[in-house]
Amino acid sequence: MNKEIKKWFSLNLGNKKQSNCGCSGSNCDGQALENKKDGISQVFDVDMNRRQAFKKITAGLMIGAGAVSTSCSVVSGDESKEKSQIEWEEYFKGNYKLMTEEEKDKTVNRLVRSYELRIGKKINISSKNAMDDVLFGYAFNISNCQGYMDCVNACVKENNQDRASEMQYIRIHEMNDGKGLNFGEADDTYYHEVPAQGHFYMGTQCFHRDNPPCVEVCPVQATWKEKDGIVVIDYDWCIGCRYCMAACPYDGRRFNWSTPQIPEQEVNKDQHYLGNRLRKKGVMEKCTFCIQRTREGENPACVEACPTGSRIFGNLLDPNSEIRWVLANKKVFRLKEDLGTEPKFWYFMD
Amino acid sequence: MKVLKNLIKDSLVYLTHGRKSYHFWMAFLTFLMLIGMYSYSLQLEQGLSVTGMNDRVSWGLYISNFTFLVGIAAAAVMLVLPAYVLKDFDFQQAVLIGEGLAVAALFMCLAFIIADMGGPARLWHMIPGIGVFNFPNSMLTWDVLVLNGYLFINISIPLYILIMRYQGLTPNPKIYIPGVMISVFWAVSIHLVTAFLYQGLQARPFWNNALLGPRFLASAFAAGPALIILVLAMIRKFTDFKIDDKTIRKIALVVTVAAQINLIMLISELFKEFYAPTHHSESAYYLFFGLHGKAKLVPWIWTAISMNAIATIILLFHKLRNNFTILYFACILLFIGIWIEKGFGLIVPGFIPGPWGKIAEYFPTITEIGVTIGIWAMGAFIFSILARTGIAIELGKIKYKK
Amino acid sequence: MNVKLNIIFICTFILLISCKHKEDEYHTITDKIEDLGKDFKGIPLSSDKYTETLKKVEVTENWQRFYIPERKSQIKSFECSECHSKPLNEIQGEENIEKSHWDITLKHANQETMNCVTCHSENNMDELHSITDKPIDFNLSHKLCAQCHQNQFKDWSGGAHGKQIGGWAQPRVSQTCVGCHDPHRPAFEKRWPSRYNVHMVDERK
Repeated sequence: MNKEIKKWFSLNLGNKKQSNCGCSGSNCDGQALENKKDGISQVFDVDMNRRQAFKKITAGLMIGAGAVSTSCSVVSGDESKEKSQIEWEEYFKGNYKLMTEEEKDKTVNRLVRSYELRIGKKINISSKNAMDDVLFGYAFNISNCQGYMDCVNACVKENNQDRASEMQYIRIHEMNDGKGLNFGEADDTYYHEVPAQGHFYMGTQCFHRDNPPCVEVCPVQATWKEKDGIVVIDYDWCIGCRYCMAACPYDGRRFNWSTPQIPEQEVNKDQHYLGNRLRKKGVMEKCTFCIQRTREGENPACVEACPTGSRIFGNLLDPNSEIRWVLANKKVFRLKEDLGTEPKFWYFMD
Repeated sequence: MKVLKNLIKDSLVYLTHGRKSYHFWMAFLTFLMLIGMYSYSLQLEQGLSVTGMNDRVSWGLYISNFTFLVGIAAAAVMLVLPAYVLKDFDFQQAVLIGEGLAVAALFMCLAFIIADMGGPARLWHMIPGIGVFNFPNSMLTWDVLVLNGYLFINISIPLYILIMRYQGLTPNPKIYIPGVMISVFWAVSIHLVTAFLYQGLQARPFWNNALLGPRFLASAFAAGPALIILVLAMIRKFTDFKIDDKTIRKIALVVTVAAQINLIMLISELFKEFYAPTHHSESAYYLFFGLHGKAKLVPWIWTAISMNAIATIILLFHKLRNNFTILYFACILLFIGIWIEKGFGLIVPGFIPGPWGKIAEYFPTITEIGVTIGIWAMGAFIFSILARTGIAIELGKIKYKK
Repeated sequence: MNVKLNIIFICTFILLISCKHKEDEYHTITDKIEDLGKDFKGIPLSSDKYTETLKKVEVTENWQRFYIPERKSQIKSFECSECHSKPLNEIQGEENIEKSHWDITLKHANQETMNCVTCHSENNMDELHSITDKPIDFNLSHKLCAQCHQNQFKDWSGGAHGKQIGGWAQPRVSQTCVGCHDPHRPAFEKRWPSRYNVHMVDERK
């Protein structure tokens, strides 16, 4: 009996996988007892496989759609073939930081084309690199902020944030006069006439620090600091471990716990690969100083939208810029200075 | 290679036979695993929004269990030290069980990590060469390295020993002793590195203190051996494997000392937080007393602390410790108490209050609990397989037949 | 043998740790700005593409040179002298005359400080005038505001007060005082915030 079994092994199944389904069915005829146990061993075997298939299932779910439709491409049209081809290539591409210019162009074209195939509309995605001699800085005037939250709305619209979870990068805190910068007692979900008596207002967002802990801790380097100082995320490279979120002391990062939903007519079609292009579920995102605007010379949406002019943005390396004037002439401070991470976002008062 | 094939074949045959209770146990575990798979499929479909986590508390039940299980895995192998270094033969029986437990715990850790990922299909991005591996900056990469290395060591060494025994040969100490030595140091490092994951975040003052790493080690060495004692008790009951009372008593000693150290460290932490409270103590206030009316975690932490304290006190007395029923009771208390403490008492309060002082409370959802139960069942399943096979080989029930 | 192994292990460990270091050597951001900005020669980007169609006036205030939008062409009923042929004191006080600008009420400082002729020139309605009765062109009305609002003026000339038009690149185009503040009622009215985040409130329950 043993010899028989051995023969089966040495003939057909020379690797570990042989311990599964195939053998138990065919060579266990002789043993009546064995048959009864087949049921359980089948379940058992499936479980053994499941652990390995576990990872494959999750990967497969992603590629599955693409793989299946590629195989059925004879039946479905050219469009879906192209779609799955794009999905396939997008899944296997590398980290944006390490891409050559050519690869960057290719991925941008794929994304634009993918959107066109799915929705039927055209978008522009830029992959413009950081300019030399530019280092972005930001200043916030807490005397002038009246708490209107126009900046928050502009940011949400500009950056295609998820409407379902009301994601907003910017928080406006209603602080108490006399209590100073006591954020624990501040309110950021106020809804009454502003400015309210006895309060002043401060806005927080990602401070794009020069020594960002989020960049340090990312296990796959999906987030990094660009040459012009903006801390960006490659949404397709992020694995969603949320370590960066734990590391951020300023609540700068937002996670897509589910697929972001934006009404199609509200989608901002001028996008940047590292900025406001449409994200998927399970990836991190954050304020990018409106990289799609600032690399073209425009102000970020929040700066543009503020009716009181409390927000100031500019190039820290240009001695004639407004931001440099603020740093030289106003009494500026930064939040959580003692953490030593050098934010490029200053606060000042009139 | 033939030996390996036969080993697997023989163990499979052996594993599918057993008493009714064994089959019932495995069926029960399979059922729980199916629940876990179903819940996980829900999570894959809809994203992590099916869990209770949010932007403020971004790590919850999964990472809590991960942290706890890394400790178990580390402690399981600490039993190896006395067995091989101190040549204490009483421990040698427990070693294979311990390493099997370590392997099961590590698989659970990996499963919890995968369950917690926002994009599990993109995990290949971490593989150096194909992806980008942010070593040595990111502590997470260190963790990946040490955990996988530890898994490798803990599979290869017992496998070697078992294959030798399976063939009726004595395993060559020159081969496995160095591996065992490395695994002992490695055990300490896996939990230290996991602790450093949290300790290194200057954004979370509740974690950013020097005592976190040592505290992790102490609680791991209390909970891990406690679990081993319980497991050994079950093995004594359900199999023919002989385990001396002496072995269990010695492990109990390890648990006692570790539990006491754990309690001392807790007192040190409480002193630091509450003697001269600063802004950074807010998390501790939230955890122990509730803050601004939010007090979801308060009953949990006090239950955990009382369980730990009671168990530690019980273990202090020889008479009580040597009464095995009481010992098992104390071990259960300790295990559950430390599980609560590491999870709800450490991970969750680290995030509360948020960076701007706002409190958003966290409680796991059914789906999250479902996945967690599924993974624990998977761990128990793996351990049952490994332990059963290991014991069978040790007892000579499975022998390599030329 | 074991001891040697341990030593090797520890040494590699230390080596690996020491590999972690910061990318640049700057201790603070101000050091970095000083170092990288000292040879600044300008960048190829300019705000011109956003302000091409805007009529601009170049001004130099407090040693800052920048542009402001031209004002006179934006005032609907400029040239004032088209209607106001008589000096102010002659048309004041006349009853039964339909008044334009009936909707302009003055809510700026108090009665003792401000009335119409504080800013508007009596004899030439096409101009404003300073405290010392020097004429100020409507395009440069900020000189008028600067007389009382010294601090804000200083900030504005540096770019710290008010809004910039056309982005962050040079040349700077600043909005004028009257671009945001109605000179007759300069204060911002109270209003409601434009957003209420229900989700955040729920999270905190």
